Amino acid sequence: MKTFEEKWTAWLDGQLSGKELIEFEATLPDLAVADAEKRDAQKLGSFLKQQLGVQILSNAEFFSHQLHERIARDTQDRHRPTSTWWTIPRLVWSGATALALFVITTVVLMNQHQPGEQSEYLTQILNSRVDPAANPNATIYIFESKNDNKVTVLWTEGLQTLPADYAAK
Amino acid sequence: MQLRPLLLAVFFALAVSAVSADAAQAVWSGLVIAENVPQPTPIPPELTKLEPTLKELFGYNQFEVIGQSNKTLKTGQEDWLANSKYFGLHVDARGENDSGYALNLKLYKENDVLLETDATLSKSSPLVIKGPQVGSGQLLLVLVVKDDEQAHRRRHAEPANPITAGWHRLRRIIHNVIP
Repeated sequence: MKTFEEKWTAWLDGQLSGKELIEFEATLPDLAVADAEKRDAQKLGSFLKQQLGVQILSNAEFFSHQLHERIARDTQDRHRPTSTWWTIPRLVWSGATALALFVITTVVLMNQHQPGEQSEYLTQILNSRVDPAANPNATIYIFESKNDNKVTVLWTEGLQTLPADYAAK
Repeated sequence: MQLRPLLLAVFFALAVSAVSADAAQAVWSGLVIAENVPQPTPIPPELTKLEPTLKELFGYNQFEVIGQSNKTLKTGQEDWLANSKYFGLHVDARGENDSGYALNLKLYKENDVLLETDATLSKSSPLVIKGPQVGSGQLLLVLVVKDDEQAHRRRHAEPANPITAGWHRLRRIIHNVIP
């Protein structure tokens, strides 16, 4: 069951016909005033359709323009390099510099202790001599103990043997 | 300004105390007779740490000190003598550097110089010199740098400089990795 408002809207739109139209128009108190109102409504409708059609077209162009701008901006952003200091070449150069510094430091450290040289943590014998007249066959060796005591040993061979009395305190 | 002389005085006092504290180390010098005996006497306390090394190197079971000296070095320029009845070890300290004490050593047999050597005695590395055969034994000269009690206490009370300690640790690591 349609309400009066529904029937009124359908009547204004010219969608009532036949028996339904006759019955509805019979319910109207003043058909002439209603017809005038219908004409005004139709005029307003056609005017609005005209205006809204232009507006819709305008919005479509506006959104289309905005979309194009957005797409262009996104495309530019994708192709533009990111603004950070750590670019690939700089990363490569930084890595190479760090490696070079490490190598230089290592070489300097290693040069401070050449293989075969006595460590600064060990006692070093700079020179040694025995009386050649009393000990003509004497020889001297220098070595370090292999254990944890880090003992430096000056080893003499061929020194003159002394009697046991010399062990006295 | 009153502050500047005061700061200078404090700095000078700290520097002097630091130098004097660093130099406060003792060098133990010993004339040792090593020999093999049926019942060896206990090794002297100064040689306790070195006992395994001495036994391994020389093959004797007894180490008897026949003369010794315990010299505290303050300037690093001192000299001293460790004497036994017939031997004398004259030690002439000629300064201190990062590696240790520069020493001139002379082993006397009565008035004759048997052996002379120049060495840098490290604070962490004892020096052992094999001298002449004496009877059935062997004369050894031993020099060890010992921390004195005050320096030992200070070292435990004050933490090491982290930069210096880190640098030495890094050097040790690199030396261990690349021998």
